[in-house]
Amino acid sequence: MNRYITLIFSLLLVCFQGVALGSTVLEDKVFEHRFDNGLKLLVVERHDTPVVSAYITIGVGSVHETSETRGVAHLLEHMLFKGTKTLGTTDYSKEKPLLEEIERVGSQLDALRLQNGADPAELAALEKQLTDLQAEHKQYVVKDVFSNLYSENGGVGYNAFTSKDLTTYLISLPSNKLELWALIESDRMKNPVLREFYTERDVIREERRRSYDTNPARKHYESLVTNAFKVHPYRNPIIGWHSDIANLSPQKTRGFLEKYYAPVNTVIALVGDIRAADAVALVDRYFGDIAPGTPAPRVSAVEPVQKGEKRILEVFDAEPRLAIAWHKPTMPDKDDYAFDLIDQILGSGRTSRLYRSLVEEQKLATSVSVYGAPGSRYPNLFVIEGIPRHPHTVEELESAIYAELDKLKQELVEEEELTKVRNRLLTDQLRQLRSNSGLARLLTSYQSLAGDWRYVANYAVEIDKLSAEDLKQVANRYLTKSNRTVVVLQREDQTL
Amino acid sequence: MRYSRPVGVLSVFVAVLFLLAGCAAPLPSDPDQLQYPALEFQLPEVETLVLDNGIRLYLKEDRELPLVQITALIGAGGITTPKEKTGFADLFGSVWRTGGAGDRSPEELDEFLDHLAADLGAGMGPYTSQLDLSIRTQDLEQGVSVLADMLRRPKFASERLELARLQAQEQVRRQNDSPGAISRRLLMAALYPDSSLGYTPTHDTLASVSRQDMVDFQQRYFAPNELWMAVSGDFDRDTLMQLLQQKFGDWKQRQVPDQVMPTVARPKSGLIQVVTKDLPQTTVVIGDLGLTKDDPDQYAVRVFNYILGGGGFNSRMMREIRSNRGLAYSAYSYFQVGRRLPGPFVAGTETKNASVVPAVTLTREIMLELRDNPVDQDELQLAKESQINSFVFSFENTHSVVNQQMTLMFFGYPEDYLASYRDRIAAVTADDVQRVAKEYVDLSRQQIVLVGDPEEFRDELEQIGLPVTDVELDENPETAR
Repeated sequence: MNRYITLIFSLLLVCFQGVALGSTVLEDKVFEHRFDNGLKLLVVERHDTPVVSAYITIGVGSVHETSETRGVAHLLEHMLFKGTKTLGTTDYSKEKPLLEEIERVGSQLDALRLQNGADPAELAALEKQLTDLQAEHKQYVVKDVFSNLYSENGGVGYNAFTSKDLTTYLISLPSNKLELWALIESDRMKNPVLREFYTERDVIREERRRSYDTNPARKHYESLVTNAFKVHPYRNPIIGWHSDIANLSPQKTRGFLEKYYAPVNTVIALVGDIRAADAVALVDRYFGDIAPGTPAPRVSAVEPVQKGEKRILEVFDAEPRLAIAWHKPTMPDKDDYAFDLIDQILGSGRTSRLYRSLVEEQKLATSVSVYGAPGSRYPNLFVIEGIPRHPHTVEELESAIYAELDKLKQELVEEEELTKVRNRLLTDQLRQLRSNSGLARLLTSYQSLAGDWRYVANYAVEIDKLSAEDLKQVANRYLTKSNRTVVVLQREDQTL
Repeated sequence: MRYSRPVGVLSVFVAVLFLLAGCAAPLPSDPDQLQYPALEFQLPEVETLVLDNGIRLYLKEDRELPLVQITALIGAGGITTPKEKTGFADLFGSVWRTGGAGDRSPEELDEFLDHLAADLGAGMGPYTSQLDLSIRTQDLEQGVSVLADMLRRPKFASERLELARLQAQEQVRRQNDSPGAISRRLLMAALYPDSSLGYTPTHDTLASVSRQDMVDFQQRYFAPNELWMAVSGDFDRDTLMQLLQQKFGDWKQRQVPDQVMPTVARPKSGLIQVVTKDLPQTTVVIGDLGLTKDDPDQYAVRVFNYILGGGGFNSRMMREIRSNRGLAYSAYSYFQVGRRLPGPFVAGTETKNASVVPAVTLTREIMLELRDNPVDQDELQLAKESQINSFVFSFENTHSVVNQQMTLMFFGYPEDYLASYRDRIAAVTADDVQRVAKEYVDLSRQQIVLVGDPEEFRDELEQIGLPVTDVELDENPETAR
C-alpha cells in the first residue's frame, strides 16, 4: 500500500501513451455506463480465462488534505480494510459503545501528549486505559475479514493505493465470485467502521520508517518533491510526516471519508470474463442506492513561478545520488505531450541520449532515469535522476546532464530519432493493455483524471503534431536554471 | 480537465425511491448467503513439439494484440561459478544482452532493437540462462533472427564487459545503502556458506571474470538440444515454423556436459548477526534451509507457510505483529521451492528499533505454536481454499501459460503436476501441517540477521537464546562469512 506512491505517475504516463495507440483496439471494447447517482462503470469483456479484475478509483488523494489532516487519505485507505457494521464484527451493537469509548480516551491521550509538561502519571494512566479498552474490544473483532473472504474465494492482488490525486481499491477474482466483490465493496462504501484505529496509526508509522526513513531512493524522491513545491499540496508526502500521523484522529478520518467517498467521485472498471449487461445489473443492485455525494473540489492553491534555482542536501547513510526537477504543465497542455517525447529521447532505453552519453560513453553514472512526478491532475515536475559511478562525483554528473539538455535546446532532434520514440510510445502502449488489471487501472485512472477514458484517444495524433522545433522551444522554456530544484543525497556535506 | 457531471438531488431521490420500491429480493448482507455458479475452467492447451535438432517448442496463439512474446531457455546457469569468480552470472547476462550478436556490433544491435520498439532481456539464473523478447507481430522475422544470433553467435564485446564490470563494482560499493539488501545478503551467506547461492561479488571477483569465461560457457552449454522456447501471441504457426527452421535448422545437436550441483546442508547451529546502521527501524530476517520441488511435502509446506506468514493478512505473523500490535507494516514468510537444491525458508519484518526483540520472539513463538499444536479446521480450510480457488490465475496470461509449461517440463515436474495440484492441496491435513512444521521449525539452528540501530535492543538480545555476533560493514565491503 505504499510502493505505488512514487510509481503512480510514471505509470500513468505510460498508461496515457498506452491508450493512444490502443484506442482503435479499445474503442470497440470498452462498455461504459453512468448510474443515476453519478457512479461511472467501465467494462471490458475478455472471456479467455474465467477471471475478472475489479478496480474502484475514488478521485480523491492527498491533495485534498489540509495542514491539519496531512496523511489522512492514506490512513483512511488503511482503515477501510477493517470492515463494516456487519462484516468484521461479532456484534456491532455491543462493539459500538466500546469504539466510542476508545475514541474518547484516545483523543484525550493525543491532546495530553501535545501539552507542554503533561503529567507523566496522567499520561500513563490514560495509556493503560486505552490498552485495556483495546484488549476488551478484541472480543468483537473478526480479524481482517475482507482479506479473509477474498482469499478464501480465490481472490489475488487484494490491495489499495493512495496517490496525490487518486485512491484505488483493487482485487482480481475468479469470475463466478464477482458478486462477493459487489457485496464487500458496496458495504465498504455504505457502512464502514473505523475499528482498531490507534493500532493502525502505529502500523503507518512503521510503514513510513520502512518506505522512506530507511530507504535512500524513496527518501531522496520525497525530499525532491517536498522542496520543489512551495505552495501546492503536491509538496506534502502522501503518507504524512511522523507528527502528522501521530495526530490523526478517528474524527478527522471520518470527516474525510464522509466528505469525499461518494459515487460522484467514483469510477469502477471490471475487466475480464463478465458480460457488460450483467456487470451493470450487478453494480446497480449493490451500489445504485448510495446517495451521490458532492464532487471533490479542485485544489485552489497555485504554485507560484519559481524564481531561482533551489539546491538541497539530504544527508543519509548511503552513497551519493542526484535528482533534478523542473516545473512543467500537466495534461492536456500541448507542452506536456512534448515532455513525453523529451522523456523518451533522453531516458528511455539503451539508445537514449543520457544513457548513451553518461553511462556508456563517459561512464559517469551507473543509471539515469527520466520521469514525470508527483501527480498529473495539476502542474507537475519533469525529473532526471542519476547515480554517479565512483570516483565520479554528483557535480560531474550534473554538468554532463546539463550539457545534454543544452543540445536539446540548441539543436533540432532528427526526424529518425522522433520516429523511434513515437514508435516506442505506441508499442509500449499496446503492452499496457495485455493484463486485465493493467487495463482496469488505465481505465479508472484516466476516467478519473481526465473525466473521460476516451480523452486519450487522440494521443497519437497529438504526438504526431509535435515537431522538432516544438521540442526545442519546450526545452528552452522549462529546462532552465531558475526553474529547477537540485537535491543531492549523500553521507555528509561535501558537495554544496 | 473535465469532471464528472453531478447528478441532481431530485433525480437521485427519485431513483432511490424507485429502486427501493422495485427491489423484490433484499440485498444479501452476509457473504454466506451468496450462491456462486460453478467455475467452468479447463487447463489451457499448449502445443508442444520437438524440432529435428532437439529444440523444444511450446506454442500458444493469442490474437488480441499485435504482439509476440518469446522466452528462450538454455539448461545451464551460474550454479557452478567458483567463489573467486562470483558475479559471473550477472555479468554474463549483461554482456550477452549488450555485447552484440551475429553481424551486429553492440551499438548496432541496440539501435536495431530500439527502432523496432522491441524489449529484449537476457539473464543467467542458478540453473538456466534465459532470453525474453517482446516484439510487434510485423517484426517477428527480425526478432527470431536476433534470438538466433544471440544464442548461436553472441559477441560478448570486450568494451561492454568492461562497462558491465565497472557498473557491478559500483553496485558493490553501494551494497550497504539499503538495510533490506544487507540483510538478504548476510542471510544467504549464512545459509549457503559453500555454494554460489551464498557468495557475494567483490571488486576482485568481478575483476577476475574474463570474456573468455563467457565464450567458454556459451560454447560448452549452448546447443539446440539444450534450447527450450516458449512462444505466445499474435503469430501464424506456419510462418513461425518456417522462420525457426530457417534460423535454427542448421544448428547441429551435440552432447553437452551436465552441471554438477554443489551440496548444501542445514545450518548446524543458530546465530544472530547484528549490523549497526543509523536508522530508526531494524530489518529482521530469520532463515533456514527449505526444500526442493521433488519433496512430497511441498503441498503441506505451502499450507503451513500460508498460515505462518505467506497468507498476507490471513497469516498469523501479519495478524499478530501488524494487525494486533502495530509493530510493523510488513510481516511475511516464504519458502522458495528450489528447482534443484533446497531453497531458503525465510520469515521477516521491519520494526522500530525498540521493538526488535518482541517482534523476533513473537515470530518464533508463532512458529513453535504451529510445531506443537495442530492448526484449527477453519484456518486450514482458508489456507487450502485460497490456494485452490486462486489456481485459475496461473493461466490468466497467455505467455505465462506457455512459459510455465516449458519450465515445468524442463525441470522434470511430474506430467500431472498442474492437473493434480488442487487435489494435492485439498488432501493436506492438520497433521500434515504439524509434521512439516516439526521438520522446518528448529529455533536452535535459525540464522537471524538484524540491520538497524542496536542501541535500543542490545540488552534484550540474550532473551532470544542464540549467540550474537556483530558484523562490521567496511567501506569496500566483503561478505561477512
